[in-house]
Amino acid sequence: MTTIDASRPIDLAARPDNYLTHSRGFLSWALTLDHKRIGVMYLVAVLASFLLGGIFALLLRTELLTPGQTIPGVTADVYNQFFTLHGAIMVFLVIIPSIPGALGNFVLPIMLGAKDVAFPRLNLGSFYLWIAGAIFTLLSLAMGGFDTGWTFYTPYSTTTSTGGVIPVLFGVFILGFSSIFTGMNFIVTVHKLRPPGMTWFRMPLFLWAIYATAIIQVLATPVLAITLMLIVVERLVNIGIFDPSMGGDPVLYQHFFWFYSHPAVYIMILPAMGIISELISVHAHRHIFGYRFIALSSIAIAIFSFLVWGHHMFTSGQSPLMNTLFSLISFSVAIPSAVKVFNWLTTLYKGNISLTTPMWYALSFLVLFTIGGLTGLHLATLNTDVHLHDTYFVVAHFHYVMMGSALIGMIGGMHHWWPKMTGRMYSEKLGTAACFVIFIGFNVTFFTQFYLGSQGMPRRYYDYLPEYQVYHVISTIGSYVMALGFVMTAYCLISSLFSGRKAPANPWGGGSLEWQCTSPPPHDNFATQPSVGDCYDFRSLRWDEKEQGYVVDPALAAEAAKHPLH
Amino acid sequence: MSTHLAISAASLAADAPSGATAWLPPPSSTIAPGVDMVFNGINAVCYFFFALIMVLMVYFVVKYRVRKGQAFRSDAPLHHLPLETTWAVVPLLIVVVMFYVGFRDYLNMSTPPKNAYVVKVTAVKWGWSFQYPTGATSDDLYVPAGRPVQLTMRSSDVLHSCYIPDFRVKKDLVPGRYSHLWFQADQPTPSGWGHNLFCTEYCGTGHSNMNRKVHVLPEAEFDAWLVEQGQWLDKIPDEELYFRAGPKIFARCQQCHSLDGTKGIGPSWKGIWARVNGGEGSGEKFADGTTYAGIIGPGKKYATPEDYLRNSILNPGSELVGGYGNAMPSFKGQLNDRAIDAVIGMMQHLDDFDPKTGASLKEAPPAAPLSMK
Repeated sequence: MTTIDASRPIDLAARPDNYLTHSRGFLSWALTLDHKRIGVMYLVAVLASFLLGGIFALLLRTELLTPGQTIPGVTADVYNQFFTLHGAIMVFLVIIPSIPGALGNFVLPIMLGAKDVAFPRLNLGSFYLWIAGAIFTLLSLAMGGFDTGWTFYTPYSTTTSTGGVIPVLFGVFILGFSSIFTGMNFIVTVHKLRPPGMTWFRMPLFLWAIYATAIIQVLATPVLAITLMLIVVERLVNIGIFDPSMGGDPVLYQHFFWFYSHPAVYIMILPAMGIISELISVHAHRHIFGYRFIALSSIAIAIFSFLVWGHHMFTSGQSPLMNTLFSLISFSVAIPSAVKVFNWLTTLYKGNISLTTPMWYALSFLVLFTIGGLTGLHLATLNTDVHLHDTYFVVAHFHYVMMGSALIGMIGGMHHWWPKMTGRMYSEKLGTAACFVIFIGFNVTFFTQFYLGSQGMPRRYYDYLPEYQVYHVISTIGSYVMALGFVMTAYCLISSLFSGRKAPANPWGGGSLEWQCTSPPPHDNFATQPSVGDCYDFRSLRWDEKEQGYVVDPALAAEAAKHPLH
Repeated sequence: MSTHLAISAASLAADAPSGATAWLPPPSSTIAPGVDMVFNGINAVCYFFFALIMVLMVYFVVKYRVRKGQAFRSDAPLHHLPLETTWAVVPLLIVVVMFYVGFRDYLNMSTPPKNAYVVKVTAVKWGWSFQYPTGATSDDLYVPAGRPVQLTMRSSDVLHSCYIPDFRVKKDLVPGRYSHLWFQADQPTPSGWGHNLFCTEYCGTGHSNMNRKVHVLPEAEFDAWLVEQGQWLDKIPDEELYFRAGPKIFARCQQCHSLDGTKGIGPSWKGIWARVNGGEGSGEKFADGTTYAGIIGPGKKYATPEDYLRNSILNPGSELVGGYGNAMPSFKGQLNDRAIDAVIGMMQHLDDFDPKTGASLKEAPPAAPLSMK
């Protein structure tokens, strides 16, 4: 049985109301408990932060066009603030909350056939904590900024004279709670609000990914919170925890920090992997290949993520024995990642592939994640990491994973669910063109940096030797191309709000429950709780020219029912 | 391909500095060829899997593409346990091999030979000091060719990291503890050229300017250099000390202190001699409210201006000039009495120096000893 149910026809006339028109006025949004509206508010907030973080990225890439000063007024100190802000904004305000907060909030309850998440008030609370964290981060700019790098390594962070360190630490502390609350909410929602018939192994894979992410969020984030508070304590009352001049240990800080921040990498990438499982399956109209392996590999990644933090510290003075163990365990992450890539790839085999904009993003993800993942091998290997650690090779590697994979996955997901969220179709031509421009710009920017890093160019450098300049220039040009791609994407999506044609309920031919309610969904998602089957069975769907979307064909459904998939 | 690259990498080790491999700079230490072989081997694995995945992806997309309205096929397999197990196990075997080859070399890298020549390294914001067993110090690193060299390193302030790309070595300098790094470079560097040495742990304003050169000298030449280096300060006649040695030492102060009154990380030296001698500016307050005139003079905390200046170099935190943080590292053990004399002498005669560069105007700069660039 498929999840799409022919006996539940979508009746627009009977439901003139949707979540966007359900109530009006500022307060109806500010105080809403509707997971869909909270998701939309998250989306707007995260994209605004992405714009800010992106501006800092362009500023620092422009500064690196020449050795020494390029932009008048941008001294080494200003540059140090640029890269710190770029990193902190992109990690804490953009990538970590983006998929769970924006897309997860919007889609997760609908995929479960539920009216909302388990704790709607806590959900709104998470959003306001995000706002509070963002305000503290901006406040730190007004108080002198901070130049510690997003990693806040001690003793630099406890001794630097920039005035914004304490506010931003509070900001990240608060953002951590936002993340924890979202995670708790999703764990409970997935456990308690699954509809009849949706066993664990019938959940859409996006939910498995969000669930695995939520576990990491809840378990790892408190460690970051307490660590950042210890820095605040050290700065304010001079208790020596990390500063050796007061009897502390700076390497202890690195352990604490990466105990959170390595799992945080998977907080960023796992939800994107979940999106890709949906995108590839839906747009290839083909049952996901090896469902169980993909689902369990998400859980495996969540578990391994807690055991590999020491690979950030191979040159820190950590003992060779520890380095050896961390190197060995780090390689274990390669296995579930490889399983996922091969299973996605096989999902294309004998599929019915539509080259839609979301599908182009999914294919971009496959290319970029493959490069990001493979270059992780150089960094997990002990002797090559010694050479590559803290060079542009690492910068390139994590941008391929954090941006090329996590963020591209998020933008792909945004294009996938945009018709559902807004009720409008965007121009697929423009959307696809933008995807190509971003893809090319991204590779020009960051592939060059693999070479720079291999050649020994250290990261976080304001000034550099002239022999590196040509590669910096190429990289900077790539970043401009990428910026152009994002401007095209923004234009494509925003203009669709005004001039896009009305979206059908199921524009792509998806099988999970969100494609069964109207676009945009009604306030309470489903009037009665739907029952579900296999959300990756697309056999009963066909393209309907009049609807300009996919509909359930009763004849196909009857035929499919005779031959159950297993 | 990987073996080919590895062989060329090994043969290149002999003729540094020219001839980098496709990705890496010329391997110039005894461990570098091993690192390069592993690097190129991993590259080969990456190229293979990347090509495999891309070819399959493009083939599937082209072959199984459908247009809107076309009927769906549904003959695709849902799962295949043997296949899925294969692509879990094969990568596992490959990474176990990778781990092992990286580990074998790493043990060698992290164990300095017993007979290594030890150079003490101190990093401060934002410079390096290399101290040799004879007591000689230098700003660039000089090492004997064909002999293992161990760097015993410490930091005076925040984290730094010593990275020599051509040698494929890197190690953090952690305040409050010693760290070690060793290498052996067999090939002497050409005169006037050195391998790059970078700081790779972010340390603030001058992080990207903490780059120095590593000069590899034939054993005999190194010994001669060491003797010369230990004596250069003593060989300068006293009356020429401040303008011959001063600018070379000032190169280390320059990151934070200007001569022309420009505000830096630390206060400018402009007018300093007047301030400490009861002249103009001697009423300026320190962070703790005392003034220059209040602490310098017979019977006061510092009997002479020289005492105050000397203490400011060795214990920089004891008086903080108003408006500046406690950012200066101590130069205890790095500048000897004669070097401090030269610095104080320079402060006394600032008119004799170029206010922008600190170069001496008294005479054409003498040929610098090797170490001081």
